[in-house]
Amino acid sequence: MKILNLLSKFTLVVALAFTFHLNLKAQTTEEGKALYNANCTACHAINDKVVGPALKDVHKRREEAWLIKWIKNSQALIKSGDAQAVQLYKENNEAMMTSFENLSDIEVKSIIAYIKAESEAPAAAATAAVAPTSGGNMEAANTDWNSAINWLLFIITIILVLIIATVSKILGRIGDIQGKPIINWNKTNSILLMAFLVIGLGAATWEFWAHSKHTVFSSGPASEHGGEYDSMFMVTLILTGIVFVITQVLLFWYGFKYKADGKRKALYYPDNHKIELLWTVIPAIVLTVLVIRGLMTWNAMMYNKSEKSRNIEIYAYQFGWNARYAGVDNKLGAHNFREQGKMNALGVDTNDVNAYDDVITNELHLEVNQPVDLAFRAKDVIHSALLPHFRVQMNVVPGLPTRFGFTPTVTTAEMRTKLKKPEFDYILLCNKICGGAHYRMKMKVVVDTKEDYQKWMKSQKVLVNKTTANAAAVALK
Amino acid sequence: MSDHNLTHNHEEHEHHEDNFFSKYVFSMDHKMIARQFLITGIIMGTIGMLMSLIFRLQLAYPDMKFPFLEGILGHWGKDGKLDPNFYLALITIHGTIMVFYVLTAGLSGTFSNLLIPLQVGARDMASPFMNMLSYWFFFVSSVVLLVSLFVDGGPASAGWTVYPPLSALPKAIPGSGTGMTLWLVAMVLFIASALLGGINYIATVLNMRTKGMKMTRLPLTIWAFLVTAVLGLLSFPVLLGGSLLLIFDRSFGTSFYLSEIVAEFAGGIERTGGSPILFQHLFWFLGHPEVYIILLPALGITSEVIATNSRKPIFGYRAMIGSILAIGILSFIVWGHHMFITGMNPFLGSVFMLGTLIIAVPSAVKTFNYLATLWKGNLHLTPAMMFAIGLVSFFISGGLTGIYLGNAALDINLHDTYFVVAHFHLVMGSAAIFGMLSGIYHWYPKLFGRMMNETAGHVHFWLTIISAYCVFFPMHFMGLAGVPRRYYANTAYDQFNVFVDMNEFITIAAILGGVAQFIFLANFFISIYKGKRAPQNPWNSNTLEWTAPVEHLHGNWPGEIPHVYRWAYDYSKPGAEEDFIPQNIPDAGQTDPMQEAEGLPEPSKKSVQEPVMA
Repeated sequence: MKILNLLSKFTLVVALAFTFHLNLKAQTTEEGKALYNANCTACHAINDKVVGPALKDVHKRREEAWLIKWIKNSQALIKSGDAQAVQLYKENNEAMMTSFENLSDIEVKSIIAYIKAESEAPAAAATAAVAPTSGGNMEAANTDWNSAINWLLFIITIILVLIIATVSKILGRIGDIQGKPIINWNKTNSILLMAFLVIGLGAATWEFWAHSKHTVFSSGPASEHGGEYDSMFMVTLILTGIVFVITQVLLFWYGFKYKADGKRKALYYPDNHKIELLWTVIPAIVLTVLVIRGLMTWNAMMYNKSEKSRNIEIYAYQFGWNARYAGVDNKLGAHNFREQGKMNALGVDTNDVNAYDDVITNELHLEVNQPVDLAFRAKDVIHSALLPHFRVQMNVVPGLPTRFGFTPTVTTAEMRTKLKKPEFDYILLCNKICGGAHYRMKMKVVVDTKEDYQKWMKSQKVLVNKTTANAAAVALK
Repeated sequence: MSDHNLTHNHEEHEHHEDNFFSKYVFSMDHKMIARQFLITGIIMGTIGMLMSLIFRLQLAYPDMKFPFLEGILGHWGKDGKLDPNFYLALITIHGTIMVFYVLTAGLSGTFSNLLIPLQVGARDMASPFMNMLSYWFFFVSSVVLLVSLFVDGGPASAGWTVYPPLSALPKAIPGSGTGMTLWLVAMVLFIASALLGGINYIATVLNMRTKGMKMTRLPLTIWAFLVTAVLGLLSFPVLLGGSLLLIFDRSFGTSFYLSEIVAEFAGGIERTGGSPILFQHLFWFLGHPEVYIILLPALGITSEVIATNSRKPIFGYRAMIGSILAIGILSFIVWGHHMFITGMNPFLGSVFMLGTLIIAVPSAVKTFNYLATLWKGNLHLTPAMMFAIGLVSFFISGGLTGIYLGNAALDINLHDTYFVVAHFHLVMGSAAIFGMLSGIYHWYPKLFGRMMNETAGHVHFWLTIISAYCVFFPMHFMGLAGVPRRYYANTAYDQFNVFVDMNEFITIAAILGGVAQFIFLANFFISIYKGKRAPQNPWNSNTLEWTAPVEHLHGNWPGEIPHVYRWAYDYSKPGAEEDFIPQNIPDAGQTDPMQEAEGLPEPSKKSVQEPVMA
């Protein structure tokens, strides 16, 4: 009995330890996943080369200690003459990898754990999928274009072109012999013009019905100025829509109606000053209305700096974003482009008192109904910060400060309910061509309630911690 | 006008024998140079189109592997996957080729060269030698651009607008190495070609019109070519300056366009004090007039083709000239609408917005005038006419979205999205290409002395217009959802997944459009040798080029240059025997060409040649 008891106890301990271990592992991979998505995906993917190499099995290729050094400051490692580092640098077109000094060793380890988990997972899935088929060609057939089909398509295309050419030629010959063309293209074309008009307008209407719901306009604006933006948009849509339908209908209708039939002569009608004046003045008036309305909207959007605005800096680099919050004093600390990636990633001057309470993050959290003033700064090339749901966009230009102020009005949670998409997130994406991973350069944007925002802010690290700040203050005295 | 001199010149030409090189290669005859521009343009256009199909495949099937890509592209298509950097190279070169090499040189170069001397009644261009240089600068420029595809690091990849710092720093992107240098060299050569051509066009139109060809009797094609040439002459030098400064920044360590760039990233020299936005100003100072450099010749061709095939005078001839001039002038004060969100002063944005929306007025006038010309016409729906109608349709569809993008406020959310791609591909891409195709179908008999196959032409038209609308119309909706242009794939964004089907549809439509162009190519090249012999005036047109013999000869007309007695649009004039009265036919009793012909020609003198029914 004693033995049995002991055994059961032992099992329990082992089981507990095991669960705990598993749990711990799950937690690190989960944390690693979040960090990986925030920091790495701009340049890396697990299986594919993007700007940086594919990360699959990186834990097998390199030692963990080396990886930590590399991730935290790759340039220093290259300069130190490390053979692996230099080789890697050369292999990747001498593109510098961003330094992640803000990540702790534990965080880097969790990222590596996540990559390890990801490297193993799909491989297992793939083996499982391939195993039942005998040849193992299934996967290849699914993702590749069978080259035989390629060639077939290519040949069919050529044959089609040749057939059309030959048929046209034969029709032309027969027409010549008979003295009149086989196909009366004048009549055929006029009917086709009409058909094209009807089908085209039908298709355009269908498209409005089917695809409007995918646009950012369908969910309504998520910012204060967005309402005016959307109404300006709708005014323009209605006016241009009317002109579009009228002019296209007239164009194709005339093409149908006034085709030559050999009986009629055209009307000699070189001008009519009254009509011409009319259709110069009417567009001019309509456009004046649009200009005035547009200028009002534009000025409202551009000059809306509010005293209460919270100052946030958006920092762009190839290929990622950072947000820097001004902290309690609402003043952003000074920065120097020469210090980027040296003192800290953004080159913020840690000796500046205003910088002490600055907070640098990988996600942009905004408080609902709280005006923000975004200041933009770029490290290397021009980027553009587009926040489509907020009707906000501004270029991020190296050496040229730009700004955009706005007030978010719908929290992420509210928008999720509205769209019935629980996984929805606002985004800030790069909208100015900036290099190979341009298409992955994004930042998650979260609009929180006041409480949530404050909670999140508390969990962030300030740039210079209190003790150091106090010491500096003392030293200054 | 020194008729005597010209006749003398012409006699000289007749005495000298052409060898192969002086006839086909280093020709100074404007008609041969027009053919050279056209064929080079078509070859470049085919390359540009095939590039677009490759990147369309990537956009529709981002996860699929296409083994043939590795065959064509080598290491850029490793394992059948297009490299993201090469995707950017493809869109850059596609844009450059289409905007400059096809729609500027291919369109303006072909038709200005062919039509200016023939329609104003001149024996050749003002300077045939400069004209030849213009083509050869263009040819060398095309070769340099194509060579750049094969250099280490790939061709220029910063978008056809090549904004620095991306284009200035080789470390920023692989394509900013040798490829970018070659792009700039190609552009400098191209500008030299455009300027040599432009000066020539202006000089010919202003100085070499035949007797009686007043400015108010010029066909609208010539007005469009003239204003186009002036636009080019005033704006291309600015891009030349901009390109040279960019070469300095790239190769000599200057910082015209660079600011706050650390030394490690910028070739070992810290760059401060410049402004990346300066380049955008210089670029778009050409870039926006460039849009009209592309569009105006297409609109000019359309005016001529629509009037001829409607058998009606163009409605509001003077208003048309007025709107061409207005568009030309306004095009110089709107460039800032490409830069609303660069952080420029919002007041400046307002000014550019005002100018941009004003330009919609002359554009609207042109559209209404086309519609009025069609109204109660007697339409001959030839392939040229169909393409002209297609142009008007695209001009409306694409022009109207310009009202959104020219509005600074609306531009904030639409800038650089697929909405923009849809807009300019319709209004500038498709419309101008349709103008060019319309011109090719219409003046093919003049260019090659043979007719193109009509049936193939109609099939080409219908497939092309259907595919163009299927490709570009849905893109508006992607743009309104915030999908940015120049993205290698949209897979990184959950909310863009809804457009997977649309992307596949667009690509299939694009492939259809590509196939249709091969019908055109076959028709074009086969007809050069096997087409039906063209009659002298196949479309019963009024303009002077159809009074010249079908066979090309130096000096255009065998005898004296015809004099001009009337405007180009006396179609279906009441009382006249035919439904057209060529410009060289005087009124009954009219002797002075400068006098306005308001009556009708003498019945016996009706026309010099037998009219042939088309």
